[in-house]
Amino acid sequence: MPSPVRQKVMQHLNIVGLLQPALHKETHAPYPDEVDNAHYRAYTRMSHDVGGEPDVPIQWEEKEEEVWEHNTFVTCEVLAWRGVWNAEERRRRQNVDVGQTQYLGLPYYGRWLLTAARILVDKQYVTISELSNKIDEVKKRYE
Amino acid sequence: MSKPHYDREHHVKKATGIGDPQCFKGEAGPAKFKVGDKVRVKDLPDIFYNRTQVYTRGAPATVAELVYESPPAEDEAWDNCDNPEWFYSLIFKQTDLWPDYSDTFANDTLETELPERWLEPM
Amino acid sequence: MAEKHKPAPMVDEVSDFEILEVAVRELAIEKGLFSADDHRRWTEYMNTLGPAPAAHLVAKAWLDPEFKKLAVEDGVKASLEVGIDWINSMPTNFGTPSDYCNLRVLEDTPKLKHVVVCTLCSCYPRPILGQSPEWYRTPNYRRRLVRWPRQVLAEFGLQLPADVEIRVEDSNQKSRFVVLPVRPEGTEGWSEDQLAEIATRDCLIGVALPKPGVTANAKLPVHPAVNPVDHDH
Repeated sequence: MPSPVRQKVMQHLNIVGLLQPALHKETHAPYPDEVDNAHYRAYTRMSHDVGGEPDVPIQWEEKEEEVWEHNTFVTCEVLAWRGVWNAEERRRRQNVDVGQTQYLGLPYYGRWLLTAARILVDKQYVTISELSNKIDEVKKRYE
Repeated sequence: MSKPHYDREHHVKKATGIGDPQCFKGEAGPAKFKVGDKVRVKDLPDIFYNRTQVYTRGAPATVAELVYESPPAEDEAWDNCDNPEWFYSLIFKQTDLWPDYSDTFANDTLETELPERWLEPM
Repeated sequence: MAEKHKPAPMVDEVSDFEILEVAVRELAIEKGLFSADDHRRWTEYMNTLGPAPAAHLVAKAWLDPEFKKLAVEDGVKASLEVGIDWINSMPTNFGTPSDYCNLRVLEDTPKLKHVVVCTLCSCYPRPILGQSPEWYRTPNYRRRLVRWPRQVLAEFGLQLPADVEIRVEDSNQKSRFVVLPVRPEGTEGWSEDQLAEIATRDCLIGVALPKPGVTANAKLPVHPAVNPVDHDH
């Protein structure tokens, strides 16, 4: 019987196997001569730049806001208020640096949140160990 | 290893009581274009970040307004405010942007704002 | 669209988003990057926001041609008359970091109709209009509105004749936009408050036109939150 952790690992691998960029090719990480300039541009495109992409009509919806979503927005604005980042730095990180898969796969504020965590580490205000320990500690409060 | 130094005060010092983009007023020098000018959007390299939509590249537009001066988004995205430039409000004809846009609606337009570095005269 | 990515909400389990949100906020406070009081003050500020000031700006512009002129020429200055100071009324005194201080009021005419989108993210005039609706943030709206505006507007119930120019405003830099629609017929003699009631959020984004008797946004399904915030905005 695989452990719960292994089960989660396998579940994760099955999901990320499906979360590929849309262009499927036989080889990944191709040789340089297999990527022409058009494909270079496609692969390095900025994930935020979606204007004009074909899509089909959907049901327009309103949405209630989760408490964590509201808190995340406030945290991001206050980080900017106190000079940890500016809004454009935030947008670059959460809308482009995240890459296409996370950009389309995570909830809107999920990207804000991961980016807020990332800035603390990238600018060395918090070590990755401190972040990891804190997540673990918060998780245990709810067990 | 020493930590990098980030100046967390520079923007608040500059913009307090003034606002952003107002705090960059007068820093861009003379504007290259004026209202009514015909311009074309350059197709500059897309490397890492900018806010010039791909769908505008190479398209003709008319300058509708000189809106403000500011560092371009690609610089601000790395917290650099050293080179403010003029931002222009541009009006595009939809039929110039989308080859499949119906001629029945040839009056339709699109407006967006771009910094000067992305524009060339027509 | 492919299969909708919506896992069943797990109400009995705290989500990783909730845990990470607490972790980030607590670490930022412990490291002195901001204070708990900063966070509380910004939350309180957010709770004061909504579409009412923008609706009143439109109503005032309908009633007073001089004010309309001011609104179109200097949206930030005009906002002061509906109680919104883009620079000094929030905790910072330099505007909000994400919304900046350059409101532009887009004046519709009988032959020109504006509609706003932000294709690159979801820029929105929060200080005067509150938080954006979910549909405004979707890749779908952002992908399609710039290229097929008439189809998208029709989905919101707005069909316009070919001799009306539709102008899509792609809000992509530091300006923020509010649409000033044409004052509808049947509102003669109305007060500012009456007029403000029909200048709904949807009208101010540009996906609807104001109409006597219509004081609500398009009726859309609401996706419920697992742990909703307990206030309206």
